[in-house]
Order: sequence, then structure tokens, then C-alpha cells
Amino acid sequence: MPVSLKVSDTAKRKLQRPTYRFGQNTAYMISLAWRRRRSLVLLGLTMTVVSILLSLTQLFIVPSIISAVEAKVSVAELTVIIFMFTAALMILGAAKAYLTSCSQFGRIEVRLMIGAMIQNKSLTMSYPDIEDQDVQKKMDKASMLVNSNTASTEAIWTTLSNLLKNVTEFIIYISLLATLDPFMIIAVVVTTLVSFLVSNYLNGWGYRHRDEESEYSRRMNYLSEKSRDYTLAKDIRIFGMVDWIEEVYNSILCLYRSFIAHRERIYIWGNIVDIILTFMRNAIVYFFLIGSVIGGKMSAAEFVLYFNIVNVFTSGIGSIMSDFATLRKQSLDISAVREFLDYPESFKMEEGTPITPDFKILYQIELKDVSFCYPKSEKNTLSHINLTIRPGEKLAVVGLNGAGKSTLIKLMCGFLDPTEGKVLLNNVDIRTYNRRDYYKLFSAVFQDFSVLDVTIAENITQTDENINTELMERCINQAGLTEKIAGLPNGVETHIGRVFADGINLSGGELQRLMLARALYKNAPILILDEPTSALDPIAESDIYNKYNELIDGRMAVYISHRLASTRFCDRIILIAEGCIDEEGTHDELIARNGHYADLFEIQSRYYREGGVDDEKE
Amino acid sequence: MKKSKTSVSFRETVRLTLRGCKVWWKENPRLLLSILMCGVVDALTPYVGIWLLARLIDEIAGERNSQTLMAYALALMITTAVLSMCSAGLTRWKNVQLESLWHTQNKVFMEKLLSMDFVDVDDGRVQELRSQIWQNTDSGGWGLYKLVYSFDAIIKSVISIIGAIMLSASLFLLPVKPESGKLTILNHPIFILLIVVLMLGVIFAAPWFSVKAGSYWVKCADENQLGNRLFGFWLGSLGNDRLKALDVRIYRQDILSKSNLAKYNPFIPSSKLAKASRRGMGIYHAMSGAVSQIFVGVAFIFVCLKALGGAFGVGSIVQYVSAITALSAGLSKLIEIIGDLGNNTSFLRTVFELLDVPNKMSHGDTTVNQNSSEKQKIEFRNVSFRYPGQDKYALRNVSLTFNEGQRLSVVGMNGSGKTTFIKLLCRLYDPTEGEILLNGIDIREYDYAEYMRLFSVVFQDFKLLSFELGQNIAGSMDYDSDKVSCCLRDAGFGVRQDKLPSGLSTKLYKDFDERGVNISSGEAQKIALARALYKDAPFIILDEPTAALDPIAEFEVYSEMNKIIGEKSAVFISHRLSSCRFCNDIAVFHEGNLVQLGSHDVLVNDKSGMYYKLWSAQAQYYETEGLN
Repeated sequence: MPVSLKVSDTAKRKLQRPTYRFGQNTAYMISLAWRRRRSLVLLGLTMTVVSILLSLTQLFIVPSIISAVEAKVSVAELTVIIFMFTAALMILGAAKAYLTSCSQFGRIEVRLMIGAMIQNKSLTMSYPDIEDQDVQKKMDKASMLVNSNTASTEAIWTTLSNLLKNVTEFIIYISLLATLDPFMIIAVVVTTLVSFLVSNYLNGWGYRHRDEESEYSRRMNYLSEKSRDYTLAKDIRIFGMVDWIEEVYNSILCLYRSFIAHRERIYIWGNIVDIILTFMRNAIVYFFLIGSVIGGKMSAAEFVLYFNIVNVFTSGIGSIMSDFATLRKQSLDISAVREFLDYPESFKMEEGTPITPDFKILYQIELKDVSFCYPKSEKNTLSHINLTIRPGEKLAVVGLNGAGKSTLIKLMCGFLDPTEGKVLLNNVDIRTYNRRDYYKLFSAVFQDFSVLDVTIAENITQTDENINTELMERCINQAGLTEKIAGLPNGVETHIGRVFADGINLSGGELQRLMLARALYKNAPILILDEPTSALDPIAESDIYNKYNELIDGRMAVYISHRLASTRFCDRIILIAEGCIDEEGTHDELIARNGHYADLFEIQSRYYREGGVDDEKE
Repeated sequence: MKKSKTSVSFRETVRLTLRGCKVWWKENPRLLLSILMCGVVDALTPYVGIWLLARLIDEIAGERNSQTLMAYALALMITTAVLSMCSAGLTRWKNVQLESLWHTQNKVFMEKLLSMDFVDVDDGRVQELRSQIWQNTDSGGWGLYKLVYSFDAIIKSVISIIGAIMLSASLFLLPVKPESGKLTILNHPIFILLIVVLMLGVIFAAPWFSVKAGSYWVKCADENQLGNRLFGFWLGSLGNDRLKALDVRIYRQDILSKSNLAKYNPFIPSSKLAKASRRGMGIYHAMSGAVSQIFVGVAFIFVCLKALGGAFGVGSIVQYVSAITALSAGLSKLIEIIGDLGNNTSFLRTVFELLDVPNKMSHGDTTVNQNSSEKQKIEFRNVSFRYPGQDKYALRNVSLTFNEGQRLSVVGMNGSGKTTFIKLLCRLYDPTEGEILLNGIDIREYDYAEYMRLFSVVFQDFKLLSFELGQNIAGSMDYDSDKVSCCLRDAGFGVRQDKLPSGLSTKLYKDFDERGVNISSGEAQKIALARALYKDAPFIILDEPTAALDPIAEFEVYSEMNKIIGEKSAVFISHRLSSCRFCNDIAVFHEGNLVQLGSHDVLVNDKSGMYYKLWSAQAQYYETEGLN
């Protein structure tokens, strides 16, 4: 049975010492907005002014009218006074509504801009950081802070303009109350402050326990998402998992409600304190105001005026305090965003040597005594690898799952830096290059590829301008997709995925061909193929294998595969076992050696030999 | 999916709104109750204060008796405190219900999706509906959410209106004193009518403007939805998917991302909606804001003139003005809510379109007799199948008999209908034409759950949940540990199992537990196989069961396969024709047709057949190499 998901105390203490203070964050947001959408700031200021004028008008209207009635003015005069106030209210009310309507878009735009900045960071940051749990958490957190209208990156504007308005009004009200007894004013301020601070502290409980809350939410959201997953839907029905899923969800929902109930029971103490203090404050205010009235120093109209002012003054203090509290929370959120955006790069991105692929140069990659150990791991994934890949060589990398093949590829391509040793490109340590430039040297088809919800043409060329149509069509042809694309209503301009209404889904095999076309279009000097035919049927697979010599075309190619059959067109094969290069040579040499490679090959070929199945040894 | 912008009838609004409320009521009756009670208290509280304050001011303007003044002040203080306390208690209670609104709503849809026929879950239309409902909720709470907040607002407005009427009734009844000369005309009942008419006019005008303004959002819904989907993909799926990180960097996808986002952003100042906000929509909002003030002005004039005429004291001015403005605000709000509910109806339609998806797969009630001495036999008779919304047939005229204890291998090129075949076999879909029979009876007549129990399937795109290993294997909260262990061992997971930190309670993946384990795709495949074994069903179906395994692991699995499957019946789909060697029969599919059926030895010798083509395409790499 699931238990309540309390976060440990040490984890709690690690919560927030913000890297950026709220003054800095406010300045940051304003300068962002100023650069991108100046009107946001200007509209905000205008709205604040309008709101203040509106409040003041509303404050004075009733007392002025009462004073007029008490003074028994003429009907005409009274009508004029009322008319003027009404006109002011109308104009200001209209202005406020209009400005509110306009300003929303600038705010959304800035929030989305921040979202794009976050996404850009996650798409371009140094690869080892992506695997870092810490960075992942920062990224997840930052992403959540841009995905709705109530997120801090948008809501902060409302808070700032409220704060500005309330502070200005506070100053105005203080000056209006200057004539009254200072003790009353102090009492009002003190009771309001105390009440606020107590409530605020209590209300902070939810914030302090937000990790526990998010654990519940995350699990429920996970299950809700899973229920939409149509690939999982099959498993759910076959294995009768519906009851399990619903049971888990309901029990978490129950726990969640208990958590919230507990929270509210704490919050209500804030209400109680507030009610008591309000009672005291009202007593003091009435005492003073009525005292003045009885002493003949105040008319009914003045009583109403000062009574109103005291009320708005009180709520104004409360608003200022709560605005600051909100601002602080929002500032923490902005801080989280900035922490992610400013996360330092492990690789040289712009300060290194630039490099562009040049087909006149012959590229050679050398791994010199390279060892690699993942950050949280005790054992080296790769140890003392010495490998030189000659220009134009076709190299196959084989080995069992977990042997280190992917790690080797990542080191070669510059996604990871070795823990010991160096990776050299034409005898220069790749760490000296601008990493993004270095990636230009590689075309790859990885196992987990990224198909974008854009047109087929854009997926192949990875750009939406200056497309070399001839090259693209040639690549489509080489990958075997011409017929499929010709059969689509919009041809290469057809969208893939769900973003666009005309988006289609390609089958697994078709996607692999698309990725191959993409790799070909990039036309980089080094080609990396990681299990490129795993989703293809035997005939299609054979088709592609037959093309590889052609497709590779003198480039350096590194090829990972389980299917030992496919390695035969390579110049050299290396077998990785236990983090080292176990065996190395051409296919024929390795078979002749009768070692591990020969064993693996024998096992795979077993089923294809006549009568092979029956003579198993174990 | 274009939503028709047809106007919504009042009846439909009422019907769908009530239905929506029933949904909430069923999930959590306390939700609506707490809103009701809290709303009543909150709405009435200000009136008590207004009334007492008015009396206080009257006294100040009049006698200034200190006893009376203190009495009123005390009354004000005490009632404020008491009512605040009630409100606080009820609000806290209400918050508990409101806080879980999002998850409660998700639960409703989750339950529906889980209980739907598979054919509907797989249908793009249903996915689209679910996605739209989510977007609608996200961008303004349209749909079921709105109902909750509308209910809250309606209660408050209605009570507020009642309270306001009670406090302002006397405005019209108290007469102007005869001494005030001309002002006595104000006593004429026509003024009541005038005020009421004006109030109604303004009350209808203001929300009307609001609703007109709101309708711009509906007009721009398509662009906004595109924008939402766009941002959902680029900022959501792409940015967060760590698996794609390598690809993204090699191809500099950040460049295409920037340009795409700039092109289709619906929120920049030149977009349709933003322009509307500066023009049409903005003006409607402005008018809405202005128009309500007119009424306030007129109300003031009427009240003050009457006061000038001595009908009542100065304190009452405050009371009547507050009451009338509250009345106007309440009525405005009520009209606005009704308009909102009207706008909400089209979103509710989407909600109920999803919730009303019928379970069309006829559920018979014949029990599946598993203990009969007769062998179980499944027969496909001229089965054809077409996916919903597609023109092309995925299967054509397939006839095949499959006996208990038999091993069948299903092969063919991509798209030949292999996976469709097994989906029909385990009744995830019903055939478009033809029938499938179990022991001579059409499978549609069997009890669905019982029929499902006959099959254990490992699909190519199987999924595991980020919960305990044991639970994943059993598909339920509780499980038989010994049996789970045994199945894992049979599936080849034994070695890894011993290394797990918490044994069978270890969570898979690190989503919810730092101590969870990341499993490779090969390990996942073994777990999925163990899951199929645990179910212990008479028919096992394996779709590419060793695709992610290396040669040694694959060899181990197939070696054990005989033993694991034992007496059961098995169907294999595999690209690696190696699995065909130990099946009795091989079914070869091509473009939806069953083109060949027979044993390996027979088929491989038919050099004109599809099987031979597939086989030699793979075997060619191994044929010329024997072992030395």
C-alpha cells in the first residue's frame, strides 16, 4: 500500500538559497521585456496610473456626495458633481479594461520567449550535462515555469504592476491620514503587519512541502498520460491492468486530498489570528473616529471618507505584503529559470578553434589511451582504448549489450570527453575545437533519432531555406523513399507528426529511411550508423546493405550492429568486451581466429544452416 | 478538427451544463456542496456590514448619541468577526475540494480511456479529442472546469442579488417629504420603472460586450490550437526528450526550432488575436467597463435627490448606493456567467463526445471452456480488415486454422499485415468481414474478459510502468513473488534479478524513485516476456521478442523457448527468420494476404515463393561461411 510521500529533511534543507535575488530578477525580466516587447512595460505603467486614478475616484465619490447632501446644495449642483464623478469612472474604467485586454499578448510572448530560450539551452548544451540528474531536474523545473498563463514568467507582470500601484496608493493614503491621530495609524499598520506575517508564515507550509505535493501530482499525471498512450493500451487490455492503474490512482488521489486537508487545517490558524487582530484594529479605529465625531471634530461625510481611507489603507498594506510574498515566490521561480539558462558549459562552445568540414582534407580519428567512467559509476565503462580510424576506413563495432559500444561512439563524436587519454582529430585534441563545429563533421543515424513535426523536406535538410532540391531528391532516392513520397498529396512538403493538420505518421521502416536520407543530405565526411536497419524486414534490410558501399562513398564510416552479417562489407571489425577492444581484424581474419567473434557469428548463423537447430551444444 | 461555430441553443446549454455538474457530483459531492455553502456566507456578509454601517452613519449625521454609536460599532465588530470565522472554515473546506479538481477531472477521462474498446483508443479521433480537452482546460479552463467556477459565481451572484434587493427595497418605498417641493415627483412609481429599465439595460449591455469580446478567442481557436500544439512539441516533447539529445546536436535542430517557432507564433503583436485585442476585442472590453458606470451615476442621482428631499438620512445614501451597485454588479455577473456557460457549451460538447464513445464490441456471455478434453482451435474464416478511416485493407481474405499446442511463425515484409493479424487474433479489433471462431463459435459471442484471458502477448512496442517490478509482471498491485521470480528466470532475467537493490519491489526507471533502476531495452524485453509467462495463458504471442537482444541472449531465449512454452500454443512474429526453425508452421503474409502456409522445409524449397525470397535475403550473409 502506498505510503505518504514525505520528502526527507536533508532534501528539504537543500531547497532554495536562491542564486539570484529578487531585485536582480525583477531587473532581468524588465530588461528582457524592454528588449523584446517594449510596449509591455509601457502598457504596464499606464495601467498602473489608470488604476490609481480609478481607486482615488472611487474613494472620494461617496464622501463628496454625502458632503454635498449635508450642505443641502441645489439639485443642479448635485447633478453636476455626480455627473463628473461618473464620467471620470467611465473613462478610467474603459481605459483600464482596454489596456488589460491589450497587454496580455505581450506577456504571453515574453513567457514563450523564455520558453524558447530554455529549450534552446537544452538542445545545445554540452552533452554530459544532459545526463546529469541535477541538470535534468533544473531543466524540468525551468520548463514547468513557462508552460501556462499562471506561471511566474507571465504572472510576475501582474504582481509588479499591483505592487507599484499599492505602494503609490499607500503613500497617498498616508498623506491623507496625516491629520489624524498617529497612534491609530500605527495601530492599523502594526495589526495588519502582524496578521499578515503570521498568515504568510503559515501559508508558506504549502511551499515548504511542495516537493511532497509534486510527488503526488507527478504520479497522477504520469498515470493520466499513460492512459492516453495507445501503445500501452494494448498491454493494458491484454494483461488486465485497468484495475491496477485505477487502484494506484485512487489511492494517490486519496493521499493527496489528505495532504491538502492537513494543509488547510494549518492555514485556518492564519484566518483565526487575522480575525482576532481585525477585531482589535476595528476597535481602535472606531474608538478614534467615533471619538472625533462625538467631539464634534468630524462631519458624517468626513467620517465616511476617513473610514474608507482606513479600509483601503488596511487592505493596501495587506496587498503590499502579499505582493511582496508573491514576488518573492515568483523571483525564486525566475531564479530557477536563470540557474538553468546560465549553467556553465563543460565544452568549449565558442571560445575554441573553429573548424569546418573540408572534403579536400583526409580525416583521421585516434583514441589515445582513452578510458571513460560515468560520473556515478565505480567501474570504467571503457579502459585504455587505443584505436586509430584511418581516413576513408569502414569500421564495424560489435559487442554484447552494455559492452561500451555506444560510449565509444559518443567519445568519437565528441559527446563525451574521456576521463583519461585523448581523442584526436588529425592529431589535434578535439577538446580544443568549438564543439558545435566539430559535430559538423559527422552525419549519423542513431538508434534514438529525432523526427521533427515539420515537412519531410525540412526533416531531410534540417533547414527551411536554401534547400538544395537536387541533392535532396538524390538522397531520397538512395534511401528508397521516392515512391512513398510521390504518393503523398503534398509530396515533400507534407508535414510529419501532429502539430499540423495535414501531418502524417510514417512507419518504423520508413522513418529509418528518412533518417538515412537526412544523413546523406548532410554530406559530412564521417558517417555513423547505429543499428540502422533494426526495424526493416529482411528484404528491405538486404536492399540497404547492398547500398552501403555506394552510400558511404569513400567517407569514414563507423557502424554498430548486433547483426554480424552486416559487418562483412567493412574494412575492419572491432569486438568490444568488458570495456576493451577484445578482437580486431577483417571478418575472415576473425573467423579464422576462432575466438569470441567466431562464437557470436556461429550462434547467429546457426538458424540459417540447414539442419542447424538440432545440433545445439548446451 | 474544425469545430462548427453553430450557435448554441439555450436548451443544449442547460442540458450539457447540468450533465457536467452531475459528473462532478458523482466524483465528489462535497465539491458542489462546499461551494454552495461558502458562496452563501460570502455573499451575505457584506450586506450585514452595509446595513449596520448605514445606521451608524445615520446616527452620526443625526443625534450623535454615544451609547447608540458604541452599540452599532460593537455590532459591526462582532458580526464581522463571526461571519469571517464561518467564511474561513467553509473556505478551507472548499479549498480541499477545489485543489484536487485537476486530478479529479483527469480521473474521469482516464477511466473512460481505459475502458474503451481498443479500436477507439487507437483511433486518431479519440486522441485528438483528449488532446483538445486538455488544451481547452489549459487555456482558460473551458469545459468541465468552467462549470465549477461558474457554479461558484452563480451562487454568489444570486445570493448577492437577493441581499441587495432586500436592502434597496426601502429606497423605493420611503417617500420624499412633502416640504421639499419639486422633489416630490420622485415618489411617483414611474421612477421605479425607470430605474429598473435603465438598470436592466446596462446590465445586459455590459456582459453582452464582454461576451462579444470573448468570442474573438473562439474565432481564433484554430490558430491558437496550432500554436499550442507547436509549443507543446517544440518546447515540450523535443526539449525534454533526453534520448534524442545526440541526434539533436549532430543536426543542429536548434536552428530549425528557432525558425519554426518564429513563423507560427500566434501571440506576437501581428497575430490575428493580438490585433483583435487592440481593435474589436479591446473596444468591446472598454465599452463593457464603461457602460456599468452609467448605471452607478444614475443610481446616485436618484438616491441623492431623494435624500435631499428628506426621504432618508445620509447613512441610507451609503446603504442604497452600495445595495444598488451590488445589485447591478450581481445581475451583470449573472448575465456574464450565463454567457460564459453558453460559450462553454461547445467545449462541453467535446467533453461528452469523448465520454459518450460507445463500447461497440459486442460483449457476448458464452464462457470459454478451458477444461474440455477437446483441443482448443482458433479459425480465421475469410477474414478481411480495414483500419477505421482507411481505404486500404490491411488484411484480405485470410483463412487459417490454429490448433492448441501448435507453434506458428508469422513472417512478411513491413506492412504486410502481420501485426494486424495478431491484433485480430487477440480481439483488440473485430474483423470488418469474415469471422474468427474459437472451437467453432464466433469469438464475438464469448465473454470479452474471458476471451482475453486466453492470450499472453508481448508486442513490439510494449510498455512497462515506472512502478515495482513485481507489479509490472503481474499487472496488479499484489503478486505471487515465487511465481514472479520463476517467470523472470525463465525469461533470462535471473542474473540481473539477483542484483536488484530491493528485489521484486524495485521500481523500474528513475521517474519516481531515486533508487529505481534504469533498464536497457534488452532487459525490458525480458521483463515483458516474464509478464507474458506470469499470466500463464494457453496462447502466447510474441512480436519481435528478441529484436533488442544481442546474439547470445537471443540464443538463450530461443533455446529455452521450447521449455518455456511447453504445452502452450505460440505465435511468433519476427524479422529474424531464425525463429521459424522451431515452429511447426509458417504463415507468410504479403500486402494483407496470406500467401503461403507450411513448414520451413516445404516453403524453403518453393523457390518461386515469398518465403524463399525472405529467407535467402537473410541467409545469404551466413551461407558462404560455414564453421571451420
